[in-house]
Formats: sequence, C-alpha cells, structure tokens
Amino acid sequence: MSFVDPATIARLESLPVKARVIVEGALTGLHRSRHHGSSVEFAEHKEYSPGDEIRHIDWKAYGKLDRYYVKQFEQESQLTAYLVLDASGSMAYRGDGLSKLEYASYVIASLAYLLIKQRDRVGLSIYGDRTFEGFVPPRARPRHLHDLLAVIDDVAGRGAGGDEPASVALERVAELARRRRSLIVLASDLLEPEDGALVTLRRLRAQGHDVAAFHTLDPHELDFPFEGMTVFEALEDERKMLVNPSSVRRQYKKRMSAFLERARGGCMGAGVEYHLVRTDQPLEQTLLQFLISRAAGAAGPRTWTS
Amino acid sequence: MDFLAPLMLVGAVGVAIPIAIHLIGRRRARVVRFAALDFLFGSKRKVARRFRLRELLLLLTRALACLAIPLALAKPYTSCATSGPMVERGPQAAVLVIDNSFASRYQVGDRSLLDRSREQAYGVLSQLGPEADVAVLTSSERAEAPSELSRDHLRLRDAIADITPTARPAGTTGALRKAAQLLATSNHEHKVIYLFSPLAATGLRADDPPWPAGTGPRLVVVPPAPDASLDNLAVTDVSVEPDPTAGSRGVRITAEVADFGKSGVDEHGISVSIEGRVVAKGMVSLLPGERIKKRFLATLPEGHRSADVVVSLDHDPLPTDDQHYLRAELRDVVQVLLVNGQPNTDRHESEIFYLEAALRPGDRGDAGTVVTTVTVDELAKQNLGHYDVVILANARALSASTVAELGGWVDAGGGLMITVGDNVDPDAYNRTMAPILPQLLNTALDTAYGAHGAERTGRAQRLVKFEADHPIFSVFSKDAPGLREATFEKIMLLGPTSKVDDRAVLARYTNGAAALVEARRGNGRLLLYTSTIDRDWNDLPIHPGFLPLVQQAVRHLARKQTQLARASVLVGRTAVLPVAPDDQRIEVRGPDGERRVIEGEQLAGRKRVRFAGTDRPGFYRVAATDRAGKTRPREEAEFAVNLDARGSDLRPAPPSLVPTSGTGTGGPGGGEHRRRVELWHALAAGLLILLLLESILVLR
Repeated sequence: MSFVDPATIARLESLPVKARVIVEGALTGLHRSRHHGSSVEFAEHKEYSPGDEIRHIDWKAYGKLDRYYVKQFEQESQLTAYLVLDASGSMAYRGDGLSKLEYASYVIASLAYLLIKQRDRVGLSIYGDRTFEGFVPPRARPRHLHDLLAVIDDVAGRGAGGDEPASVALERVAELARRRRSLIVLASDLLEPEDGALVTLRRLRAQGHDVAAFHTLDPHELDFPFEGMTVFEALEDERKMLVNPSSVRRQYKKRMSAFLERARGGCMGAGVEYHLVRTDQPLEQTLLQFLISRAAGAAGPRTWTS
Repeated sequence: MDFLAPLMLVGAVGVAIPIAIHLIGRRRARVVRFAALDFLFGSKRKVARRFRLRELLLLLTRALACLAIPLALAKPYTSCATSGPMVERGPQAAVLVIDNSFASRYQVGDRSLLDRSREQAYGVLSQLGPEADVAVLTSSERAEAPSELSRDHLRLRDAIADITPTARPAGTTGALRKAAQLLATSNHEHKVIYLFSPLAATGLRADDPPWPAGTGPRLVVVPPAPDASLDNLAVTDVSVEPDPTAGSRGVRITAEVADFGKSGVDEHGISVSIEGRVVAKGMVSLLPGERIKKRFLATLPEGHRSADVVVSLDHDPLPTDDQHYLRAELRDVVQVLLVNGQPNTDRHESEIFYLEAALRPGDRGDAGTVVTTVTVDELAKQNLGHYDVVILANARALSASTVAELGGWVDAGGGLMITVGDNVDPDAYNRTMAPILPQLLNTALDTAYGAHGAERTGRAQRLVKFEADHPIFSVFSKDAPGLREATFEKIMLLGPTSKVDDRAVLARYTNGAAALVEARRGNGRLLLYTSTIDRDWNDLPIHPGFLPLVQQAVRHLARKQTQLARASVLVGRTAVLPVAPDDQRIEVRGPDGERRVIEGEQLAGRKRVRFAGTDRPGFYRVAATDRAGKTRPREEAEFAVNLDARGSDLRPAPPSLVPTSGTGTGGPGGGEHRRRVELWHALAAGLLILLLLESILVLR
C-alpha cells in the first residue's frame, strides 16, 4: 500500500481538494485491506424481523435473494461529530515537513469531508487563540462542508498561536452534546500544563461520548535530533534557554517517553481512542488507521501508533 | 601576598577565554522555537532556573580554572607570625636531632615531650623544602645514626614517626657529634642542626664538646616545651641492709629521692613493694634541688632466698623514673667458732652466753649464722678452714702453734675477734699472741672501786666515739643510744704502737682509750674488743646496741656482704651472669617478657658471661638448662636494671655548655618570627577541584 507524502498533499491547491485526496486515498487502502466496512458508520444488512421499519427494507436485495433485509445504517439515527482542533502556539512547531497545525488541520478536514459525505452532523471547535472564534455548530448539509473547511483553512492560514487550553473547547462541546451521545475527535499535541487536555477527554468519555484523540507530534519532538549549541525558545511564552542538546537529550527523551506513556495510558484507561501520529506520517495512513479502528467495532478502546 | 614569579600573572588574561567562548557560543547558537520546552528543562520552571545556574557555574568554574593556572605558576606566598624555629627554605644540609631519652616521656599537658618534638620536626622538615638534604637522629645515649642525608621526605617523616622513647639518658653531645660528622659529608654550604630537646645539662659534656668551639655547623635548639618548667622527682638510688632488730629477715631499705626542679615537693607519696606487695608507705618533702634519703623497715618474705624490692614515688609528669628496682638476697650463712674462755655449767654465767644469744636471736634456724662453741683446749683440734669467724672470748693465751695456725688462717681470709676478760694475761698475750693482736695489751683499768654505787657509775667508762662510716657502726643512728648508754667498769688498756697503716681504732671510751681496734692481716681481719663480751666488766650485753654490734662485727669479719642487695645494672650496661659447668643454655627474660638465650659457643668454657640486653628497667629473670636438659630458675643470677639517674635531671644547661657554631647564628630557635607560607600548593589543589567540578557539571 502506498500513500502520498504529507508534503505533497500540502502542495495541493485547496483544502477541499486535499481532504478529498486524503479520504479517497484512505478509502482505497480500506478496500484493499482485509477489513470490510465503512468508516464512521458501518452499513450492513440485517434480516428483517417483525418490528423493523418496513420502509427500511432493501427491495433490491429482496429482488436478488427473495429475502427481506433492512439497511442497518438507515435504521441508526444520524451521527453527530465534533471535531476539535488544537491551534495553540505549541502546534506551530515545524520540523522538516508540515507543522503540527497543518497536519492536524488536514486530518480534521479529511474527517469532516468523510462525515459530511456520510450525511452526519459535523461540528468544529478550534481553540488556542483566545481572540479567534473558531466554533462551527454541527450540521449535516453538504454545503456545511464548505463552511467547515473554510474555517479550518482560515486557521491554518493564520497559523498557531495563544495558550488557550483544550478544556475550554472541549467543555463547550460537552455542553452542546450533553443531550445526545456524540463522536468527539481531538487533534492536538496535548502539551498542556498538568495534562489538562487528557483530563477533559477522560471526563467526556465518562459522559458517554465516543472520544478519539490524534496525538500529533513532530518527529523532532519525539527524537530530539538537534546538535550544537541551540537556543530553544518557547512557543507559548517568553522562555528561552541556551543548551547543548547532546547533554540534555537523554533526559529529554526520558521525559517525552514518560509523557507519551502517560497520554496513552490515560486514554486507554478511560476508553478514549488514542492515535499517536507523527507529522511525517502519510495522512491517508493516519485516516485509514482511524477508520480501521472504528471498523474493528466497539470492542473497547484502541490505540494506534505509526 | 606576594609572588615569586610575578611575570606568570600575565597568563591571568586567560580568564577571558572561557568567557569569550561562552559569549561567542551563545551568539552563534541556533535558535529553535520549540514546543516541548518543558521536557527540556523538566516540568517546572525551577528546573530551568537550575539549568541557568548550572551554565553560570560552569562558566565561573572554567574562568576560575583559567585564573588559577597562572596564579599557581606565579608562586604566590604570604607570611605569618610563628613561634617555631627560624627555618630557611632551600638547598642545604640539615640534621634533625630528636631527644628520645627516657626524659622525653615527660608529660606537658596531655602530650609528651617526644610528641611535641615530633610535631616540631615535621614542621621544620616541611619548611626546609624538597631541596634540602636531611637526616634524622635520636639523641639518647648510644643511639644509632643514619649513614647519609636524604631528600626522601616521606622516608624522613616515617623515620620521625618511628622514634620511640628509650630507657637511656640523653646523650646530646654524642648525637651532635654524629650530626656534625654527617653534615661534613655534604657539599652544601649551608649546614644546620636542629636539636629538638629540653637541652638538659646532664646530656652535655663540658669536657668533651661535639666540635671545637666556634667551628661547628649552625645549631638551632628547639625546646619541646619552651614555657614549661620541667620539674621532676625521681628515685635515684635504693639500698637494702640487714636490720637485726627486726629479726633475721629484717631489712632496712634506704631510698634516695632527688628533686630536679624549681618548686620542691611537699608530702609526696612514696612506697616500698616486696615481691609485688606494698609493705611500707611514706611521704617525702623536698626543697628545690634537694636530695634526701628515706628509710623503711621491712621483712623479707619467708621461703625465698631473694626478693624483688621496688621503691615507687607517686606519679609525677615523668613516671618512668619514679620506680627503682632492686634484688635483695638473704645473707649467706656465716660459720662462727666461739672459743669460750670461761665456760660454766650455768649457761648464764658462761662467757659466751650473751654472744651466742646475739648471734642466734630467738634461737631461730635462719639467723644467718651457725655457731660452734669450743673450749680453749679444743681449739687446736678444730679444722679452722670450716669457719669464717673465730671469736676468742676471754681465752687464756694460746700456744705458739695454735697462734701460728690461727695466723695462717687469718692470712687466708679468716676473721678473728678477741675479747678480753679476767682470763687474759696481758703479758702472756703479748708474748705468744702478738702476731694475731691488732695492738699489744697493756693493763686492765678497773673503775669499780669504792662502795658507793653512784661514784662507781660516775667513774665508769662509756663508748663515746665511733667510726660512723665503718660497716660495723653504719647501722647505728647518729647518737647510737643503744651503745652510748652502756657503762664499762673495767677495760683493757692497750700498749703504744707505731703500726698505723693497717690498724684503726673504731671506737673509744670516755677516757679516750681504744674500745675496738681493727687490723688487717693478709686477706683477713683482726678485731680486738677491750672489754668482756659478757657482763663481767660492762653492761653492754643488756643494751639494745649489743646485738647489732655483734652481728655487724661478725659479718664484717666474715667479709660476707652486709649489703643485702645485689648491685643493680643501669639500662644499656652489661650484666655479668655466673655460668655453672653444667650449663648448656641460659635464658634471660626481661621485664617486658622478651626472652634472650645464651648458649653454645657463648657459654663454652666460661665461668661468667656478659648480658647486654638490658634495655628496659625492671627485673630480669634467669633460668639455666643443664646437660640433662633440665631447666631451673637461677635466682642468684637474677638482677634488676634501673634508669641512669642522670637522665632525670631536666634542668636546662647553662649557655656556656651549649656548643657554639662556626656561623655565629646558633642558639635557641623558639622565638617569635615571621615565616613564609607558600600558597601555590593550595591553588593547585583548588585547580584540581575546579576541574573536577567542571567535569561533573558537564556530565550532568
């Protein structure tokens, strides 16, 4: 299976095109994989039994098989998904390829594309910059996709900034989705003091929502490949420090590993679907892994790492 | 602070190097805007602050290290006031002479003089520096000396540390001579001797200086306790004499105690131990520098022919010389032949009744004398060689042959005592017994005429003059009341004589007439007592002085030792041990339990053997193994070793006794002066610490 390099996708003209390319790439991969099923909603036929809605009977199947089947997706109610994008300052980090914000926005755009295509209600919440109102209420209309992608495109163009915590956006989503179980997808580097984003995600899961997290990190943040005297400047505040990276690498990686383990463990323990994604990882692969994990059923929490 | 090589300070500009590197490195550093900054410094800001602090420390450490190098190379030094000896650093030849005589055990505060000297010697050695050729000598008598000077200061320090106090007195003059000889082998122009000693006068010999005046090396005297007055009290001698008044085993122990200080002592405790048991205690009070004799009466224990006697003073700052050891032996048995000139069936009327009683007090078997009584007629039949002493008690004049026999016996070493009485005819005596008379007899002087008792008593003679130093009278006190109170109603006057060489009047009566006359004949002695030995002519036998007088006279005549103590040996001197023909091996065990064996060639054909291992004071036990392999203790060969009392005198030598040096800079070195203290060692150590710190900071 071959995927398109994220940098190549980034060079595509517009976000809708990018989203479509990513989704189609992912779905192509999905057909070739041994898993069969849809992405967000798995459409399947169920043999009719008394009590089922007659209008949901698949007459084409009856014509072929001489048996009554009802389409399951038609039987389920419409899914409401909230896509939450971290656009805080830390997401601005760019190693050798896409910035974390760019990568995350492509993932979120792809998901929006896919969900809207499935006629699901999709809302969007972007946090980070307190001055930017990045909330789009959930809608299922095809034109809604345009609104969603426009906002995402706008944020990606503005660039990441600010230090607004994830909890603000997630709490707003939780408030809106309190009457109905929803799919909540967060794309973030989870770099917050006291692991605040993780805490909020676990709480949302506890409220019954289906929660997934794309833990987006740059390969440089994971491997710390810097050499030579380097001044590291914080992206969200004024801290800076002159460091010989080789002298702190071991300690840094030890702390990063602990953080990843904490994030993974915290999500798994609460039933939050956890995906650690590197920004050099193909976007279709990221989406495909997500879809496969969804298709794998509701057999508990899942984690994916690239 | 000053510098020996100030030009090296130019290198101090090197301190700018790490600062410049730091600043340039900071300017050239790549700037990365990084999200996971918290993982870089930890989750807390204080970690970041700690990192900044570490960077600053690293910079500071490197800057200081760069500064320390030129500073150390510039050899900085400072000076400080010190009270030790003035020591010149640099190339020279020096000898450290450290007093390790027994006086070096003297405690001043909680440290001995040797401890103080050792510490001072370490200080001088370090101040001399590595370029000095140095030797370490000890100054106790007969101490060994190294053969060469050395620059191995570690070894020299070990040599100083290994010095232990000996039991010998100070031999400062000899040590200085050896030091001067060592220095003479050196090519250095600057030669100096550091003498760590209280410089007691007894250690220096005015008649034999270590070098001719004004020619020797520079001498710096370093007194170990310059401000302390080294007062000392010591037992310098002990003698044991028999004390017949205290029984046959009675002894009189005389201890000589000397004060070698400026303060004197008052009521200082002294005690006598015999065979490990304290038998007498007393007090002594001495004026500064005084020397007194303290006497004790005691009894030697039964069952032993010899006994260990220790006289001890209560401890003073130098306890080593507060003991004196002595081996006391029971007297040899004296064979006495009494020739009774006036025997009587009534014992009390016999001429020798009192004499015999005095020789065998209490009729005890261990009186020390074996008495044989014969009449004048039986004398000729006796084998005189069997006897040590013959006493003719009021015997009539002997035949010429008997006199000749007696004369020969006296010549061979016998002791003859003649007492007079009614049986003694002066003319007959003068005629036949002149060869054995110390002085010819004249006539008897009888003062017992008249009826009135008081008159007779007034006319009676008394013993008034004694040769107090003579062994016979040495046991009596100055007044000797036990003798003076006796009255002599009749005495034998002696004729004139011109023989004065071998004759001495030991006691005289009130009228000046001789009472006891001694003369030498050959190897023997003659003693003439000019009154009766019983109560016929005097009442001396019933006075207390009679018994010791008789005992001493017999001992003196028998030439058996009246001093019961065997002469003790001084530490380091040789003891002479008798060797029996059967002896195959002689083992000597010292007071510290160390055993030394003399055997084989060392004993072959010898009657005596010298033992030189007397390096500690105390008692030395001797055991001999015969041809049959049987080992027996040999009490008669055991001996005591004592300190040389000269070493107890720590009073300082007068300046005139201190050897003068050729450089004219000799003399005590204890004054206050300024001493140079080099600081580069500390800087070098600091540099090492800085480099270590830098490594730790980099690795963290």
